[in-house]
Amino acid sequence: MSAPLYQLRGVEAGYGEASGLVSVLHVPELTIERGSILGLVGHNGSGKSTLLKLLGFLLSARVGEMFFDGGLVDAAALRAGHLLRRRAVLLGQDTCLLKRSVASNVAFGLKLRGQDAPQELLAEALGLVGLDYKDFGPRSWRELSGGEARRVALAARLVLKPEALLLDEPTSGLDRASIGHVQRAVLAARESRGATLVISSHDVDWLKSCADRVLLVDEGRITGSL
Amino acid sequence: MDYFSEGLTKAVALLLALDPETFSAVGATASVTALALAVSLLLGLPLGFALGHFRFPGKRGARLFVDWMLSLPTVVIGLIVYAFLTARGPLGEWGLLFTVPGMAVGLTLLGLPIIISMTATAVESTDSRLTDTVLSLGADRWQLLLATLSEARFAMALAAATAFGRIVSEVGIAMMVGGNIKWQTRTITTAIALETGRGEFATGIALGIVLMIVALVVNLLVGLLRGRSSETGRRRA
Repeated sequence: MSAPLYQLRGVEAGYGEASGLVSVLHVPELTIERGSILGLVGHNGSGKSTLLKLLGFLLSARVGEMFFDGGLVDAAALRAGHLLRRRAVLLGQDTCLLKRSVASNVAFGLKLRGQDAPQELLAEALGLVGLDYKDFGPRSWRELSGGEARRVALAARLVLKPEALLLDEPTSGLDRASIGHVQRAVLAARESRGATLVISSHDVDWLKSCADRVLLVDEGRITGSL
Repeated sequence: MDYFSEGLTKAVALLLALDPETFSAVGATASVTALALAVSLLLGLPLGFALGHFRFPGKRGARLFVDWMLSLPTVVIGLIVYAFLTARGPLGEWGLLFTVPGMAVGLTLLGLPIIISMTATAVESTDSRLTDTVLSLGADRWQLLLATLSEARFAMALAAATAFGRIVSEVGIAMMVGGNIKWQTRTITTAIALETGRGEFATGIALGIVLMIVALVVNLLVGLLRGRSSETGRRRA
């Protein structure tokens, strides 16, 4: 049996400079199995985004141990954090597009990895989120609505086919049709490739329908499950 | 007015006849400006990125120092560089005084703070979400630097155009460090000062026309780049 993708033990994380560190997340124990879907529910400011940033290696644990694919994520591992971030990709609430075309935005992560970005691959990723490559590919970032930009950002992560996809309120601010595209695209990532998904959302019904587990997060702590 | 129109007519004639002395000054200006701008960009872009992107002890002091350099009078820069490059100075043995490379040293001190300061401001004002976005897509430190500079490309081009405008129109440093030597270190600005003082109004106007055309092109470019770099409507994705 393979190791869980994530294991957290006694982890605390937070923000601020050395003189004024503020812990906003306390996780005594959390295991996320490979290929599972974990839902996170909680109020704004409850710590969901901080947990996702921790899982996406954009934030390091101040206290405790975190393992990824059986390996300890310590200061030495985080010095080459980009190698971890290439395996676990985050779509944050604050994610933005680069000042370039839609096609270049979707291809950006592949180029960071030194990989080719053939048109078919980009078209497939955009198609997953309901955007037509011929129409949207050449468009500039500034020609997109907020909802379209959100879907392009998701396509830019789906095209990377990461082991773990971490999504912070991926359907926030989208209309009903766009929400449908995003939800289908996200689930396809697990069905087609067995990706591990961690999703925070206020859409509890959706999370309960698709996730293996839904955890309640409140004041930086996991307080229960649905 | 006759005096002025006569000078203008002669100036146009000098330019159309490709007067060697006039174009020698244009050539010296082009050489020294290109050299000073290249060094300013080579040093200023990474230093400006570091100043704008990283947090480090003394950052505020470094920023104040760069801003202070921006406000230094050019004659003072010329005086300092002269003192270093003169035969009795610490760098006298390099033989750079009254040469184009020597002038480029002085003009680099004029252009470098502009590049550093404007690049740092451009990097600071790039979207605060950019770093997490680029890192989350798998960028290493160098790729983050390149992506950030790429996002600030119009603002940095604006910095380059601004520095170019300052360097090409500078007279104090060019005069003191270059010595205004005919066929060698006589630039457009130093030639204008000299020719006008000698009563050669036409040559002064001819060189002034060249400088004004350069200034116009640079200003058009700056206006264009300022418009592009101020596009702040990045979509939340």
